[in-house]
Amino acid sequence: MAEGPSEIPNLDALYRAHATTVARWAAKLAGPCADVEDLVHEIFLVARRLLPEFRGEAKVTTWLYRITERVALENRRKDRFRRWFSHARRAEIEETISPPHLTPVDELERRQSSETVYRILDRMPDKYRTVIILFELEELSGEEIAALTGVKLATVWVHLHRARERFLAEVRRVSRRST
Amino acid sequence: MKQPTTTDRRTQVDDRTPIRERWTAQPPGTSDEAVAGAMLRSAAVVRPFGAKELAEVGARLRSKERFRPRPLALQLAIAASLVLFGGVLSAAVSHVLRVRLQDKRDLPVAPPASKPVRHASLGSSRPASVISPALPAAEPLPEPTRELPATRPAVMRPNRAMAIRQEQAAVAPPSSVEPPLAPPPAAGPSSLAQESRILARAIAELRQEGDAEQALGILDQHRAEFGASGVLTPEANATRIEALLQLGRHVQALALLDAQFLSATGVGREMLVARAELRADRGRRASALHDFDLLLRAEAPSDFVTERALYGRAVCRGKAGNWEEARKDFERYLATFPDGKFADKARAAMNR
Repeated sequence: MAEGPSEIPNLDALYRAHATTVARWAAKLAGPCADVEDLVHEIFLVARRLLPEFRGEAKVTTWLYRITERVALENRRKDRFRRWFSHARRAEIEETISPPHLTPVDELERRQSSETVYRILDRMPDKYRTVIILFELEELSGEEIAALTGVKLATVWVHLHRARERFLAEVRRVSRRST
Repeated sequence: MKQPTTTDRRTQVDDRTPIRERWTAQPPGTSDEAVAGAMLRSAAVVRPFGAKELAEVGARLRSKERFRPRPLALQLAIAASLVLFGGVLSAAVSHVLRVRLQDKRDLPVAPPASKPVRHASLGSSRPASVISPALPAAEPLPEPTRELPATRPAVMRPNRAMAIRQEQAAVAPPSSVEPPLAPPPAAGPSSLAQESRILARAIAELRQEGDAEQALGILDQHRAEFGASGVLTPEANATRIEALLQLGRHVQALALLDAQFLSATGVGREMLVARAELRADRGRRASALHDFDLLLRAEAPSDFVTERALYGRAVCRGKAGNWEEARKDFERYLATFPDGKFADKARAAMNR
C-alpha cells in the first residue's frame, strides 16, 4: 500500500502514482460486471473536482479510496437500477486475465466461482462487503483497512467476523443447493 | 435445544480460524472455510490495468470536455418535466393562436383568411430540428469513425404561425388600415424559446452550413447560459456529439457519449451504435459489447444501425478470441444483409 505524503499533489501526478491501485480497488469493489476503465475515469473526474478542497489532512490514498468506494457503490446501484429498468442483464463480464496454467474449463469454473462470490457479497451490507473484500481479496491488514475506511481497528475485526459468518452461511446454502 | 449466542458463534468461528488469518491463505480442503477460501481466491484475480488503459483514461481526463454525468434520477426527472412542459406549452400556443384567428375573423376590416384552419396542425412546442437530432453514422469497425457519411439535410420546418401571419399580410391590400388585430406578445422570450433559438442556430450551422466549429461555439454559448439545467441540454449534447464526430474529435465525443444514458430504441439507437463503435475502436471491448448487445437484444429492425451493430459485435468478439460467437454473428449478418456494406469484409473474415 502506497503511503503517500500529505502534500497536495496535482491531478496528473496523482493519476500517474495511484491509477493502478485505484483500478484494482475499483475492480474488486464494483465486481466483475463493472467497466474498470470507466470507473477509473469517473473516480479521477471526481478527484479533479474535489482536489481544490483537499487540504492534505488525510493521506492521499485514504482520500482516493473514499472516492473509489463511493463511485463503486454508486456504480453498483446504477447497474442494479439499469438492469431492472431495461430488463436487460449485463451479459458481458469484464475480461479477466486468467493464470496461464488454467485450461478453458478451469477458467470457466474460476469465473463462475468469482460471480458466485460477488452474488454473495452483494447480499451483504456495504460495510461487511467492503471489509471482506479488502481483507481477503486485496489482502490488506486490519490496520490498513482501518486507515483506509476511517473506522476503528476493533470495528474492522467485528465487521470482518460478521461478514465471515454471513459468507459461510451463504456458502453452505449454495453447497446444499448444488448437491 | 439452546440457541447459540453471538459469543458462542464468535468463539466457534475463532476456534476454526483466528480472525487475523485469511481464508484465502488456507490450503485446499473440504471444510466450509477452505471452500470459501478457494472461492474468494477465484475472485481475487482481476484484469490488470496496464499501460494502454492508463494512457487511454489519462487522455480522457486530459480532454477539454468537462461534462459530468448527470445522476440517472435527474435524467428521468428532466425527461418527465420536458414531456410535461412540452404538453403545456403546445396547449398554450394552440389556444393563443385559436383566439387570435378568431379575433381576426370577427373584425370587419380584416381580409378573408385564405387558409383559416392551418393553425389546427400546430402541436409541437419544440422545433422539429431538435426532435430528431441526426447523428452521423460512425465508420464501421475496425476504423469506426474515419469516414463520416454526409450529414443529413436540415429538417427544420418553417414556423407555421409566422407563415400564417406572412400569408395574411400578403393578401391584405396595401392601403388597408392596419387592424388592431393581434395582441402584443405577452412577455419577453421564455428561456425555453431562447434555448430553442440557440439550438436551432447551432443545428443550422452544423447541417446547413457544414461548419461544426461554429456550431460548437454556439453550443458553448448554450452551455454557458443554461449549463446542465437547460430543458434542451440533452438535445444540445446530442448536437455537440454530432459536431465533435464531424470534426474527428472522437475522444471528446466518446467522453460525452459515455455520460449519456442511451436507449436501444428510437433516436437513441444511432448514438448507441456510435458509442459502441468508438468504444470498440478505443479497445474497450467489454463496454462496446454491452452496447452492441443492447442494440441487438431489442426488437431490432433490419436497418443500418442493426447492420453496424451486428458487424461490430462480430469484430469485437473475434478480437476477444471468442471466434465461435463471432462466426455466428458474421453468419447472421450475411443472412440478414447479404449485400450489406460490410458483407465483403464479413466473408473475408469467415474465410480466414
